[in-house]
Parts: sequence; C-alpha cells; structure tokens
Amino acid sequence: MIYGDKKTGILVQGATGKQGEFHIGLMNNYAREVGGRGVVAGVTPGKGGQQVHGVPVYNTVKEAMCDHDIGSSVIFVPAGAASDAIMEEANAGIETIVCITEHIPVHDTMKAIAYATMQGSSVIGPNCPGLLSPGEVKMGIMPSGLFSRGNVGVISRSGTLTYEVVDELTRAGIGQSTVVGIGGDPVIGQTFVDVLKEFENDPQTKAVVLIGEVGGNLEEEGAKCTDLPIVAYIAGISAPPDKRMGHAGAIVEGGEGDARSKIARLKKNGVPVASRPSEIPDMVRKLFCGC
Amino acid sequence: MKLREHEAKKVIKEFGIPVPAGFLIRTAAELPAHLDALGDKIVLKAQVDVGGRGKAGGILMADKKTAVATAEALFKKEIKGLPVKEILAEQQLDIQHEYYLSITVDRSSKQPLILFTEAGGVDIEITAKENPGAIKKVIANPLMRDLPPFMLRELAGKAPKEIMPIINKLYRVFLEKDALLAEINPLVTTPQGVFAADAKIIVDDNALGRQGFTVNRDLTDREREAEKHGFSYVELNGAIGVIGNGAGLTMSTLDLIEFYGGKAANFLDVGGGAESERVMHAVRLVASVPTVKVIVVNLLGGITKCDEVAKGIIAAGISQKVIVRLAGTNEAEGRCLLIEKGYEMLPTMDLVVKKAVEVTA
Repeated sequence: MIYGDKKTGILVQGATGKQGEFHIGLMNNYAREVGGRGVVAGVTPGKGGQQVHGVPVYNTVKEAMCDHDIGSSVIFVPAGAASDAIMEEANAGIETIVCITEHIPVHDTMKAIAYATMQGSSVIGPNCPGLLSPGEVKMGIMPSGLFSRGNVGVISRSGTLTYEVVDELTRAGIGQSTVVGIGGDPVIGQTFVDVLKEFENDPQTKAVVLIGEVGGNLEEEGAKCTDLPIVAYIAGISAPPDKRMGHAGAIVEGGEGDARSKIARLKKNGVPVASRPSEIPDMVRKLFCGC
Repeated sequence: MKLREHEAKKVIKEFGIPVPAGFLIRTAAELPAHLDALGDKIVLKAQVDVGGRGKAGGILMADKKTAVATAEALFKKEIKGLPVKEILAEQQLDIQHEYYLSITVDRSSKQPLILFTEAGGVDIEITAKENPGAIKKVIANPLMRDLPPFMLRELAGKAPKEIMPIINKLYRVFLEKDALLAEINPLVTTPQGVFAADAKIIVDDNALGRQGFTVNRDLTDREREAEKHGFSYVELNGAIGVIGNGAGLTMSTLDLIEFYGGKAANFLDVGGGAESERVMHAVRLVASVPTVKVIVVNLLGGITKCDEVAKGIIAAGISQKVIVRLAGTNEAEGRCLLIEKGYEMLPTMDLVVKKAVEVTA
C-alpha cells in the first residue's frame, strides 16, 4: 500500500460540517473493521473543544499536531477555504494531504500545491474521492464495501468510475493494493507520474490499472516512466471538443487531450487499453499470466 | 468563460499594455462619432463568441469613407451561424513585426507556462510543429507576483526591450484575473511603439463569481438551467438521453453508447448524494430535449441512495422510456420501487446501454 497504512493517524479539516462529520463516521467505521487508527483529530476554526463521533476538534492544525501523531489529512472545507487548508497542513508538516473539495479556482490550487511542495508535503486532489488501501486505511469518501485486498494498484481521475472498475475487479477475484483518486481538476497535486513512482516502490503492487479521461497528457506521461505492467482505460472518446465534461479538467482544448490520441499514444508505448470498463478484469488477468 | 476581444483588450489596457485606439459599436450609426479618433485606416471586427472569425469573414478593412457602409454590411452578416451584435472598430496599425505571447496553466508542472516567439502572426500550433526551437518556454512559480528579470530576458531574447515589461504585465493579468489562458497574438511593433493587436482571455469557471461575472456565457440555455440545479450538463445531438453520477462514469456511459453504435443526446452528471427531487429535475430536463427517445440512468450509489433515485425517476413521470441501472446503497429498495411501476432495470452498464441502442435503432 502507498500513502499510509493502519498506523497512520488522520486529521480531518472541516470536521464539524455535514460532509466532514458524515465521513469521519465512515472512515472510523472502516478503521475499526481493519484495526487501524483512523481519524484521530478534527479541525474547524472556532469550534475547538467540540467532539465529532468522539473525535476531538481543534481550532488549528498545529494544536491538533501537538496532541496527536498525525501522518495524513482529509479536507472537506468549502472551495473558498480549501487552498488555505492545504497550506496550513503543509506548514504544520503533514505528509499526505487529501483534498476532496470541488470547484476550487485553479490559481488557488496552483499556489497551494507550489507551497505544499516547498514544505515537502504530497497533495492528493483536489476534486477527488481520496484513497483506500483495502484492509489498511481509508482516507476519503470511497465506498469500502466494493474493495478487496490484493496486488493491483488503481489510479484514477474519477470517483464513481473508479468504484465501477473496483467493483468489476473485486467480482473477478482481483484484489487491490491501493486505489487512488487523483482528482478531476486541471491542476492536481499527485499526478499519474507521482503515484506510479509510489507504486513502483511498493512491494505489494504487481500491476496497475490507470483510469484516465480527456484533457492533458498526464496519463501518457505516467505510463511512459514506469516498468510496472499497466492496463489503461480512457473515458471521453465521445466527448466533443471545447466542452467541459463534468470535471474542470476533462476538456479537449486546442485539439489536444482527446481520447483517441491518448489511447493511440498509450498503445504505442505498449500499454493495453480497454475499450470499456467491463474488459478491464480480463486484461489485468492477462498481465499476470503473461499471455 | 472566454472574454470577447473588446473585454480582453479593456483588461490588458488597465494593466498598462498598449492596445490600438478602438470603440465598441452596436449599430453602424454609432460609428461616425468615432471616425476622427480612429484615423484614415480602420479595421472592423465582429465580436462573436467563436474561433476563426477572420477566415469566416468577421474582420473587414475600411477607410474613413467606406467605414459606415462596411459596418452596416458586417452587422447584416452571420459568422459561423452567429449574428453580429457588436463590432469593435479599431485604427489599423502600421505593423513592422508580429510576435506571439501566451500564458497558460501547465498541467504537468502544475504552474503557469509562458510561451513567446518572434515568429508570430501565424498559427502557433504550426510553429510548434515546424519550428519548435523558435518557441521560448518558461515555467513560473505562481507564488511570485512578478516574473524575475532573468525569465523575461530568456523569453524576450533579441526582441525590442519594450516587450519585457509587457510580458510581465500579461503575467499579472493572468494571476489577478484567474485566467486559464491569457494570450496576445499578435503582439506587434509599429513606428508608434508596441501594441497588442489581438487579445484572448479565458477566465476559470470556478472563479467567475469573484471576478464579478454573474452568468457563464459559454453555456446554452439548457446547460444554464442544469447548472442552477447543480448538474454538469453538455448538449450533444443523439436520441439517447443519459443521466449518471460522477463525471467519469457518465462519460464512460456515453462512450459505451458509441461503442454499441448509438448516439447520446447529452451528458448529465447529477453529482454525489442526489436526492429524489434532484433526480426528478434531471430526468425532466433530459426528457425536454426534443431528440430524446429513451433515457439511460446509470447510477452507482455510494453517497447516492438508490431508493431516492428510484423515487425521483417515478416522480418525473415522463413519456419517454427510461432504462435503469442502479447499484450500491439501498439497491434492493430502489429496484423494488421501479419494478413495481413497470420500469426496466438491468444489472450492468453494458446491458442498459445495449438495450437503449436497440430501442433507438
């Protein structure tokens, strides 16, 4: 697994909001199931001293860090406050920062990621479902019931499409090491390149499913720089140019980032590309048997 | 959202970048009042939200005598199907050399990317292919408000020294206006100095509010209606309406329609945690598209509860056929509700899409 395990203490920013409260509950249910630490502290400015599902809430990240051993965080604050939350956590020394928040202006994201990188933190997201390592840890909002533990890593720009693929894998008896939703925005912290590097150093991960979509060329960049066997799927082959397909980053611009050219470049680099999600499990199986 | 040329020029002028003398007119009768300020040679540019307007006849040259008649003719034209409601009347520049300058968001470095080339005036994509060495690239740190002088020197090269402050001014525009793209093509030298002959700015849709915009002009009426309900919506033109949750799953559903030989009417992502009322609005919105013969609902419940979705579909009470795939939270309850009312339920996205394609074939 990558970006943390059972022993990782998680902090939630926006702990007292509707989303924060709901998902602290789910994350800690999962932690209890697998014997992990889960969410150990929450932060909401002005709400210090309260508790959410028994988790103590602090006014600042630094205060929470004084009382707890924290390795990662999950952000549920509104778009206008999210880049500040990323920077506060990076400043306090949190290693892995997962930002679930959608609709953050790109310039805020660029600045927050530049700052976090200077501080040595890794940002996952924004506009992402977080990550889940079956049997170890859940940081974010992925529905844990669909997952099973195994050797396949999954990296995706999407949320529900990831669940669809994970569900297909699990039904086919193919377990996952870590499933990472890297986010649907044009600028995200950990890209395919970064997550693939982590998977390369992870002894549990033997193959990777890469779920991309229209916009940019980071799927191809990632696939080029790894030795791990990969199966890819690219959503948006029917996407018209210059239209944002739900995700801020899912757009074919200036004739670039369309699905057909991405698929062609991946195939040119020897990466098998599924033409629909239901083909993925069989293609992964072929990677393992080498046929 | 893309700014129109006259809006983009107003913005860069505020930041100190010289632009040609120009006036926005809404009728040809407004033009005579500005003729003295415009000089002898005039260019009339249709302000339409479409690319390639020059080649489509949206930019006309005139002089003092012909200007009004030319403007009248341009107002009567349609540029790529769009009526001309506004014209930017500008002085023609005495161009000596054309440069290209742009600033974009670079996904790979996660930072602003500045491009400058002395080989301006032509299509930048063509230069990129035929003479990539001519394009100078610099990646800037978004935490810095100004580009350091060395970056300006690297970019400008042998270009006149007045160019360097203009690059920095455009960088300020890019940062302060939440731009996804700030472009001057061409940036020109004339005996009177350096001018931005054209300007293009795309503002981040997620920053429209703080940039003072109340509506996103790039959206169609139905797309705007969808936005009010919190849906992501894109109009296509097939017969199969599509409702999904999550952008990736919805896109994948459209792709599957194409894979099985059908044509989707739309992309509609209801978002996470959709309740029955939102689903009802989504179904009604898609059903209101005249080309829609059948609607595919493909929802994977995580935060979204399948029984809520089922209630929404039933409440919409539309005349077209709805084929449903629901999986996840409260799946059994949702299925019971729909089957009771005679809706067709299928267990996988492949099956629902195949069925919809058969129905419309």
